[in-house]
Amino acid sequence: MQRRFYLVLGVSLALIAGSVAPAHAAQEVWSGLVMATNVTEPDETPPELHRIEGTLKALFGYNQFKVIGQSRKRLVTGSEDWLASSKYFALHVDSKGETGAGYFLNLKLFQEKNLLLETEAKLSKASPLVIKGPQVGSGQLLLVLIEQ
Amino acid sequence: MKTFEEKWTAWLDGELAGNELAEFEASLPDKAAAQEEKRDAKKLGAFLKEQLQARSMGNEEFFHHQLRERIATDAGEARTREKVSAKPALWPIGRLVWAGAASLAIFSLCTFLILREKTAPDQSQYLTQILNARVDPTVSPNATISMFETKEDKVTVLWVDGLQSLPSEYAAK
Repeated sequence: MQRRFYLVLGVSLALIAGSVAPAHAAQEVWSGLVMATNVTEPDETPPELHRIEGTLKALFGYNQFKVIGQSRKRLVTGSEDWLASSKYFALHVDSKGETGAGYFLNLKLFQEKNLLLETEAKLSKASPLVIKGPQVGSGQLLLVLIEQ
Repeated sequence: MKTFEEKWTAWLDGELAGNELAEFEASLPDKAAAQEEKRDAKKLGAFLKEQLQARSMGNEEFFHHQLRERIATDAGEARTREKVSAKPALWPIGRLVWAGAASLAIFSLCTFLILREKTAPDQSQYLTQILNARVDPTVSPNATISMFETKEDKVTVLWVDGLQSLPSEYAAK
């Protein structure tokens, strides 16, 4: 009788632990260098930006968003770094660790070898991060990070 | 035709008579010793009859009561043993179903409580937060930084103005 009780208890705890563990499973972070411009016939917005397309248009006033550099990184340990780069720009992302709701990230935007901007952020799955970069021609460089 | 032993037994019991008795006694090698033995047998029989008579019971009712109780106890033990031996080694299906349902309920409750505990705290910690930001003052001396969150998509925005503008070829992939 007692052995059965411990067996049932053990199985229940194992199931609970199993159900809780995936909450900390590996997450994927999409990082993009996005060039926002106004054109007469805008291209379709990349699928990664569909979620925030309305906000981007409303905030920045552009109708076309093209990805000029991107990286998709699956975070396993939470302490990884990666680079999303275009011909002239590079976004270096250094993940410093995991929080309950996301990751601590150190972001550096380089224009060739010049460091233009550095920021530290706590990226959560619930909300993407958009950084307004420099003006490029008639457009605007945007940095977008989305935890997927 | 009786054997000697049968005739001897019948003679000791005094069951031989007539010619049969005469013939048997005539066949005895030592009649005096045989008579002596017959007397001893009779004595022994009388003694045993006297000693082995059923004794009258002084407390008959009490004895019967004790006996009935003992029988009842033995019958109860036998039934218990039967019950124990009849009990199956595993739980019956009904009890297993109940145990499974109870385990599932406990598991669901624990999962719900744990998940609620994990999601209940301050919602703001589930939004992206900008902890700090800086630009190189030598490259962009007039840059200003502000940050906000949009309500609709919960997009966290780091708004940097005053960065040095670049020609359009920098938009290349």
